[in-house]
Amino acid sequence: MKLLFEEELGVIDFCLSNKTCVLYVSETDLVAGNAYRRRIANSGLQGVVVVEKTPLCEQYFSVLQKFVVLELGLTLLPVADTSEAAQLIAQMVFAESKENPFSRRSVSRLLEPLVLGLVQQIPGVGKVKALQLLQRFPSMHQLSRASLQELEILVGETTAQQIRGFFQDPLS
Amino acid sequence: AHAPLLSTEGQVSMLVDPRCISGSSELVSRLRHIGVKLRVCSLSGPDFILSKRMAVNRESESDLSGVQNRRRLQERIQKLQEEHERVCLIIQRDRTKPGEPVRIIQHSRHYAATLALLAKAGVRLLFSNGIEDTAAILNELVQLEKRKGQAIDVPLEVRGHQQRALQFCLSLPRISYVTALIMSHRFNSVVEIINSSVEDLQSLTSISHSRAEEIYRCLRYSCDPVLTRQQPVL
Repeated sequence: MKLLFEEELGVIDFCLSNKTCVLYVSETDLVAGNAYRRRIANSGLQGVVVVEKTPLCEQYFSVLQKFVVLELGLTLLPVADTSEAAQLIAQMVFAESKENPFSRRSVSRLLEPLVLGLVQQIPGVGKVKALQLLQRFPSMHQLSRASLQELEILVGETTAQQIRGFFQDPLS
Repeated sequence: AHAPLLSTEGQVSMLVDPRCISGSSELVSRLRHIGVKLRVCSLSGPDFILSKRMAVNRESESDLSGVQNRRRLQERIQKLQEEHERVCLIIQRDRTKPGEPVRIIQHSRHYAATLALLAKAGVRLLFSNGIEDTAAILNELVQLEKRKGQAIDVPLEVRGHQQRALQFCLSLPRISYVTALIMSHRFNSVVEIINSSVEDLQSLTSISHSRAEEIYRCLRYSCDPVLTRQQPVL
């Protein structure tokens, strides 16, 4: 991995991209007191705090986590030692460019199966009747506006009433 | 008389999936011990729902380290991200047998890569030393959500026709259990849900604009008659 050394980074220790910066809190920082807190809070950092979590400083971890994650809304990642930290930061660099398998994929899916599923939530309406209804009223919005007479012709009196009831009955 | 609200003064509550009750009874009794009220209902996805926007799942460190769980984890996280505004993952250290010293495990590269990708995807990561710690973290999160005005403020019970409306809402795209619950309480009828504008959906349920838009679009979407034609029964 190629490293660039830059003295103007200020409180930040690593800069992975325009958006992601890393601030490193060592075991010593953590045990030494709360100075690191000011460093994190003043950084204006929208990034990641990597912290050493060793048996020696483990007791301070939950307080730090509460401060960094819950109060500041930043990301905090614990590592056991510097070699683990290097491994993690390297993976963060890869994650910058890689496609992320945990992000929501905004695939444009076909809405027909969804609408069909919605229509089948109406009591008395199975798949066959749902398809029949959608041929005549192709959207949920149009179906909800169908008159009793229009529905009766399609699915009979009983189901027509169930459909009207489903849409109109009060919810409270 | 009104049904009691999920979050009454002073006390915080969260929804919990039955899977958690059977899988980790110790965590459940811990939470009850600190005074968190738990309501059990089938959430299909999250282990806990803490507010109108936040879902929380729990994974053990070893589950995250193993390559064999990758697919399952990806699917779970994607579904959570799809349905909830905020997703938290509590990563819990594996339990050691009583008397056994806490082992220092060198984490695999796969573990580091998983953490990096989860953080990049906007999943909030919290690290726990064990069940007691997990309970404390959940409690802090639910208190924080309440302070931020995100507490679930409708009754959890659904009665009569609300039950059907709830099932209907759960079939809408990108909707969480708690949003469906809020909708079946805040609207007067199913037709009112269908007729509502994007702004109404947003203001009544506090979901994001893009989510409200997707629901709106689905309710007005005209199906292609070719795709909804009856298939001949063989």
